[in-house]
Amino acid sequence: MSMSPATPARAREPFDRRLARGVQAVTGRTLAPYQSAIVRIGFSLTWLLFLLRELPYRHQLYGPDGPWSWELAQRLIADNRAFTVLMWSDGRLWFEIVYGLAVLSAALLLVGWRTRAVSVVFMVGVLSLLNRSVFVGDGGDNVLHLAAIYLVFTRCGRVWSLDARRAAREERAARAGEPPRRDVVGPLLWVVLGGFLLAATWFGDVSGEWWVPVLLWVLWLGNGLWWLVCRLAPGEPRTLLDALANLAHNAVLVVIMAEVCLIYSTAGWYKIQGSRWQDGTALFYPLHLDYFSPWPFLSDLLGSSGVMVMLLSYGTVIVQVAFPFTLFNRKVKNVLLVVMMAEHAGIAVLLGLPVFSLAMISADAVFLPTAFLVWLGARVVRGRDRLLKRTPTESSDESPAETLPEQRRTGEEHGPRTLVG
Amino acid sequence: MDAYVEKDAVEVSEEGLRPPGEPPVTAAESSPVTAAEDSPVAPVADPSGAPAAAPSGAAAEDQASTPAEDLPGAPSEAPPSADKVAGVGIMGLSLPYQVVVAVALAVVAVFTCVHLAMVFLHVAPSNTLTKRHGEAVSDWIYPEFEQNWKLFAPNPLQTNLSVEVRAELTPGADGGRRTTAWIDLTAQDIEAIRHNPMPSHSQQNQLRRAVDFLLNTHTDDNRPNGMRGTLSEQYMRRLAMLRLDALEGPAGGSLGPEVRRIQLRTVSRLVPAARWSTEKNRTTPSYRDFPWWTITQADRSAGSDTSRTEAGR
Repeated sequence: MSMSPATPARAREPFDRRLARGVQAVTGRTLAPYQSAIVRIGFSLTWLLFLLRELPYRHQLYGPDGPWSWELAQRLIADNRAFTVLMWSDGRLWFEIVYGLAVLSAALLLVGWRTRAVSVVFMVGVLSLLNRSVFVGDGGDNVLHLAAIYLVFTRCGRVWSLDARRAAREERAARAGEPPRRDVVGPLLWVVLGGFLLAATWFGDVSGEWWVPVLLWVLWLGNGLWWLVCRLAPGEPRTLLDALANLAHNAVLVVIMAEVCLIYSTAGWYKIQGSRWQDGTALFYPLHLDYFSPWPFLSDLLGSSGVMVMLLSYGTVIVQVAFPFTLFNRKVKNVLLVVMMAEHAGIAVLLGLPVFSLAMISADAVFLPTAFLVWLGARVVRGRDRLLKRTPTESSDESPAETLPEQRRTGEEHGPRTLVG
Repeated sequence: MDAYVEKDAVEVSEEGLRPPGEPPVTAAESSPVTAAEDSPVAPVADPSGAPAAAPSGAAAEDQASTPAEDLPGAPSEAPPSADKVAGVGIMGLSLPYQVVVAVALAVVAVFTCVHLAMVFLHVAPSNTLTKRHGEAVSDWIYPEFEQNWKLFAPNPLQTNLSVEVRAELTPGADGGRRTTAWIDLTAQDIEAIRHNPMPSHSQQNQLRRAVDFLLNTHTDDNRPNGMRGTLSEQYMRRLAMLRLDALEGPAGGSLGPEVRRIQLRTVSRLVPAARWSTEKNRTTPSYRDFPWWTITQADRSAGSDTSRTEAGR
């Protein structure tokens, strides 16, 4: 997300210098730490709310004896080779364990506890449940499914996470000359997850494409290697692994941003071809579909004006088609971002699709400006402190954020506000 | 390293980009160059580039501008202030490691481009490339990267589709055939969605998409076209039975256990044209009847089995 305007210095710099600078940037830095953190928080919150909401319906949707029974799922998965650990057993207990772990991983990812390891568990949980019953999902599930895979590659816990707080604490201790504390939880978590992985591979029944278990093994071994290297070879090997992790993070960040652009492009360009979007009546119809009108009064109100329907229909198409191109201009991009998030907030209420909307807003959040995110973070920290009646000094892990001027007030509260950090 | 950074900072200010003494820019708008100029030593003080210490990311960007590449000397000669981390990024490494990173960079770059190209081709309309290499695209995308973003496009759905079911029950005491009236399953969903700020997938998606699945995998004369067709039929039967289990039968207990066969029909009602529209559309619903399906034990959930024994007790 280097949105910084090209400075004259860059323009005058020879190409090879700029290339070297770019290579150093993508290997030496975790770009967009705030954006990746808000995406992490957004999607884990979406998934957590979804799982809690579906708690009473979990058996009907994903359970072994639901309408889409374990046998039916097995026959379909034998054909489409999707990854789900729910196929390992048709037992009810196993299902409850997986669902419980999915809830737990969502909560832990939200607060950024052992982010990398938890993000893997999160991905396994998301894929397992969504692939188990593919015929109950909507666009929101689709975004979540993709985001869960992509998040595994990112260093999304650099800020606004318990990991960041721990790192800051350790750094403070190191600066004060205290000996580093022994970390027991990390290796323990690693061993436990390794046990699961080993068992899964041993039983040889890992459903899904070959690359899923390979990815899991690579991540597990990579984490172990990182731990070893940090202790035994803090010099170049550590820098090497750090560079590789940065590389993966930055590349996947590009993929996530491109995905968001593709989502809006597809949605926009296909709409242009539809006669209802052309004559400006399109929005009227979803408002009058029984499945998407939880508040008939509101739907009728909005649909009662032909001009309003047309303006909103045209506006939707224009925004969706235009969005990817506005990335070249920071200001216009931010305006469209606010419009799109507002539209999704409207969809959440009007069409009764809060989970879908929250997932889309989480995806959009990757484009939020850093200054706004920092401001938002400071506001949340201040709110938390006020709530818990704490003095600011006690919880000043993110304190530099608080000193930033509030220069970019958009007046909208899009980011899911959570008390983390 | 201190020296290098300072040298760089001097270099930059010598170019006279920004006269010294100009009021400092806020962190948010500061470009890497100005940040380097304002605090040339800052990046060294924090070699790990901890993001929390650099709110806008601008200060961290200095690291990128630290020009270690054109300077002789291995990173091992770094000053003691950098002892915790020898350096960051490709420039903090010696040649053999740099080669590894360079190869990784190339692999990651190629992989990213290929992945994005595949996703693009997957969501794009059928075209010359996908007609020729559709197989390769599908192999890459399915099953985990499948996506469909034609949201209400090209045209939004303009029909309310309802599913109705009627059931033939076990013969009564007089041995006569007993059939229920048509039961509107979709109406149950709509009832649950009304005034519900967060409808469940089981109310909003399950039946709606099951019918979609059924219609998409059946020929016009209601025969399944392949494996997915038979799967969708059993799915519909199980879904219908779940709903019927919840209803009360003529004997007082649950209706489900008495069901021998069911028949499904879909009812399509066009969304009536808006008052402000000049269009007029048909308001009479159109029906599509599916054949009678016999209910076997596989169509009943294990739960309904126990409810029967409980009822029999």
